[in-house]
Amino acid sequence: MSNIVCSSVDKNYGAINVIKDFNLDVADREFIVFLGPSGCGKSTLLRMIAGLEEISGGTVSIDGMAVNELEPRDRGVAMVFQNYALYPHMSIYDNIAFGLKRMKVPKAEIENRINAVSATLGLGPYLSRKPAELSGGQQQRVAIARAMIKTPKVFLFDEPLSNLDAKLRHHMRVEIARLHQKLQTTTIYVTHDQLEAMTLADRIVLMKGGAIEQVGSPAEIYEKPRTLFVAGFIGTPNMNLIDVTVARGESGWLLRTEGTDIHINGDGLDLKAGQEAVLGIRPPDLVQTASAGENVLTGVADLIEFHGNDALVTFKFAGKEIGALVKASSCPKTGERVTLSFDEARIHLFDKTTGLTMRR
Amino acid sequence: MKTKHILPAVFLTPAMVILAVLALVPTVYAVVISFQDRELSRPDGQFVGLANYLSLFSDRRFINAIQVSLSWEVLTVVLTLVMAIGLGILLFECTTPKVRNLLSLLFLVPVILPRVSAAFVWKFAFHPLYGIITYPYKALTGQPLDLLSNPLTALGTVALVDVWQWGLFFSVIVLKLLETLPPQPFEAARLDHAKTWEIYAYVAIPMLKAPLISLAFVKMIESLRAFDLIYVMTRGGPGISTETLDMYAFSQGFIESGRISYASSMAVLMMVATSIAFTFIWKRARI
Repeated sequence: MSNIVCSSVDKNYGAINVIKDFNLDVADREFIVFLGPSGCGKSTLLRMIAGLEEISGGTVSIDGMAVNELEPRDRGVAMVFQNYALYPHMSIYDNIAFGLKRMKVPKAEIENRINAVSATLGLGPYLSRKPAELSGGQQQRVAIARAMIKTPKVFLFDEPLSNLDAKLRHHMRVEIARLHQKLQTTTIYVTHDQLEAMTLADRIVLMKGGAIEQVGSPAEIYEKPRTLFVAGFIGTPNMNLIDVTVARGESGWLLRTEGTDIHINGDGLDLKAGQEAVLGIRPPDLVQTASAGENVLTGVADLIEFHGNDALVTFKFAGKEIGALVKASSCPKTGERVTLSFDEARIHLFDKTTGLTMRR
Repeated sequence: MKTKHILPAVFLTPAMVILAVLALVPTVYAVVISFQDRELSRPDGQFVGLANYLSLFSDRRFINAIQVSLSWEVLTVVLTLVMAIGLGILLFECTTPKVRNLLSLLFLVPVILPRVSAAFVWKFAFHPLYGIITYPYKALTGQPLDLLSNPLTALGTVALVDVWQWGLFFSVIVLKLLETLPPQPFEAARLDHAKTWEIYAYVAIPMLKAPLISLAFVKMIESLRAFDLIYVMTRGGPGISTETLDMYAFSQGFIESGRISYASSMAVLMMVATSIAFTFIWKRARI
């Protein structure tokens, strides 16, 4: 178990700079998730920590020791790949034992450790089979067993659940969470799935274009997105984003949109008159109301998506599609007029030009 | 529906008929005359039953030819595969894509070269007085080195030429096979404390088992047909030390005595033996 420090890490492919000045401290026993859209550099970064990609600049240290020049096998890391990367010609037993055999661990000890690991992961009945004879979920469990058995200092997961179907993905996510609770090994987990990130992470590192957008606990990232990108990326259904112009009001501030003005008192917000901004409201924060008073969004419901307990009502407002998550029991019908209000404390406001939050 | 079944048959039949005639007629004819006592010097022949086959087994030159053929087969197949795998891995591991493509192209040249030309070039290179390969030995010791006239080295020297032609070609195939393998198991092995040679020995080569066995088969069949190479370089000599089965059959049938039936019985025996041997190995290899 150990900490990981990345300081000013860069990665270039020729003239193309894919990771720019990446700085991160991962504490011992922490579960860190690198989250971001495809091509944001999160997998490249993970592979650099693993030693599978060269580090163009900066330092990566594991357990206080710079590992830039070390072979992958000498870094004390174990990795689980998206497509499992099992050795197809070996039995499950040999797959799991491969690393230990290379480390010249005595046979009897290998046997004991494999028995222990396969009991934890429920692989006992499959040890004599070949990888191709197992399902995707079982194969990924073998890959996890192969990583676990070396008792590494650091676990690296590279989108381990992306090849599994939805139900299995949920199941494996729970297993990985339990495993981390039990082993407490420092873990870096790469995914593009925000649900995985939110449920597993101690801290999320949200990346875009090779740089960090925000680092924080899942709650922080959800409640206080630092940028417009983070706000749009996190949360299902997506946050509603409405272009507004800030203006002085009689008592407080006005957010002008096409058609309506929204009155806010502007507590905790950095506002300037005439500023172009983006107002963000999460669909669950919109509440159905009867009164057609101030600070309401109204429109004609044109699509109802039933989610079970809730329903997502979509309507047009100020030229934008707005979604509101309402109780399924009080859900309007398609074509009906809906009126929704919101709490000022729950709104997000971003500078349109810089994309940064205007909350202090 | 029916036309769908007929159309392929219509297209296939002419080609199949030609193939059957070309392949079957000479084979059947060879089998028939192997039971006769035909000679090139006489137009007629009597059926003599198994006499030719029986006399083969008391023919010491035939037994020698079997030994030479087997040594040739083992020597060329093993050396070719060892060279192909070694060189293939070296290319995969140590070269940039540009160098790799250039070398691949160069390595294809020997196999494109007609076998007889290759044989002549190498025969001259091995020439005891003027050959470039034997020159350093001659310069150092003052003695000529005649590898092709020494019964101990002749077969090995000819085998080298065969391995030069096919080993380089196969190394390009092995390289391309390595390029098709998914990279993740290699990466997993690197993280699994495997050294470079262990990655190849325990992961890459076993993953290529099936295509490598196929390559071995191709080479085995190809090695059976090395007549032209051996004929040009040594003519079976010195003595009969490089005389393979086909070489001996040829000299019995056309060069020395014109005993065409005797030669045919040898050819038929070879055909039967190789069919049995290859079927057996093929079945074993597939498991």
